[in-house]
Amino acid sequence: MFKKILKPVSLLLVCSFLLLDLSVQTANAQLVDTNSVIAVQQEEVNRERVAAFLGREDVQQVMVQQGVDIAEAQKRVASLSDAELAKMANSMDQLPAGASGVGAVVGAVVFIFVVLLITDLLGLTHVFPFVHAQR
Amino acid sequence: MIAGLLFLGLLLFLPGCGLLPIGPLTQSPDVPATAMVAGVPFFAQDELQCGPAALAMALNWSGVAVQPSDLSPEVYSPGLKGSLQNSLIGSARRHGRVAYPITGSEALLAEVAAGRPVIVLVNLSFSWYPKWHYAVVIGFDQPQGEVLLHSGLTAREILSSRTFMNLWQRSEYWGLLVLPPDQLPVGSDEVAWLSAVAGLELAGQWQAAETGYASALKRWETSFAAWMGLGNSRYSLHDLDGSAEAFHQATLLQPDNGLAFNNLAHVLAEQGKREAAQVAAQRAVDLGGPYLETFRQTLEELKLK
Repeated sequence: MFKKILKPVSLLLVCSFLLLDLSVQTANAQLVDTNSVIAVQQEEVNRERVAAFLGREDVQQVMVQQGVDIAEAQKRVASLSDAELAKMANSMDQLPAGASGVGAVVGAVVFIFVVLLITDLLGLTHVFPFVHAQR
Repeated sequence: MIAGLLFLGLLLFLPGCGLLPIGPLTQSPDVPATAMVAGVPFFAQDELQCGPAALAMALNWSGVAVQPSDLSPEVYSPGLKGSLQNSLIGSARRHGRVAYPITGSEALLAEVAAGRPVIVLVNLSFSWYPKWHYAVVIGFDQPQGEVLLHSGLTAREILSSRTFMNLWQRSEYWGLLVLPPDQLPVGSDEVAWLSAVAGLELAGQWQAAETGYASALKRWETSFAAWMGLGNSRYSLHDLDGSAEAFHQATLLQPDNGLAFNNLAHVLAEQGKREAAQVAAQRAVDLGGPYLETFRQTLEELKLK
């Protein structure tokens, strides 16, 4: 039984390894893209290539966790350079995400409300659209 | 109550909270005292959708007709209840526009004075209760100490310069230009512009990228990376003659850089010029560098053909 399937399986394996090898070759023999040209000129090439290889996957995964669907997350990541992703990957959980500015402070305690009202008047913050800071 | 007042007092004297007078925005001497950008449409944002709204205003100004609701799937992250800066950048690229980040008031005023709206990231509140927000700066009046923005639900909102700087410093003065690829920023730096244009390649916007590199070459005629980019984008647009010409220019500028020879070799091969292609590929291998392995692959492939 084992001998019977051995031949087709090994043939399949050999074929798949051949395919694998081929795909790697064609992937490497290409025009060097402009982002890499710029990176070489900036002498950042090795550092960033390594960081970005981790970065692209990481950032994509975090985006999916943040509710972006997989296909869209891939597109977002694809449109960013290695350098941009490397920076992003390091601080994905602390990046500011511009959000609002419209809604008032729902659920905040009165104290915070008062503080922000005063700081709005002082021109330190601009949480409430109806408050105009003194000059 | 007393504790509250103490807390407030403390808060006001914390570094970075800047009750210190920031004064009028600093500007370069050649920039006028007042300016207004014409032709920036206003889109009132939906709840949490200031990113798509701000980007839509900038894109429409640059000639791309989109609604904020078209952009929301490209920039908004539901889990964050907001939009990341890099998502705005990527989305602008996907619409064929150069996303060029700037920082600081000098750059901001110079660009606005040159007639370009600037997307800014501000924190409307403090770091302990952040309210991150994107708005679009469309004008300023230095003698009056005012900045004019399209923001949230308000078109042409007037903020005092001091308040604006307090809000803007919390993002380390992050601003973003969304430009047609034939319009260089006022204070543009060669590498920054080329990196921004190379971003268009990543989004598959080759025609816009080609225009961006061609524009770069009008200002920086001897830019190696710009010629390389021109060659790469023309190659992707199936303009083999134009591509070969650009890579050839790059080899003349940096005869000891293998990158240009490697790319030239590929184009020559596709033009059917086998011998010239092999000579170029061999040259790249001889010159070496961090992409030596790629150069070797190119040479091997050409020999097999």
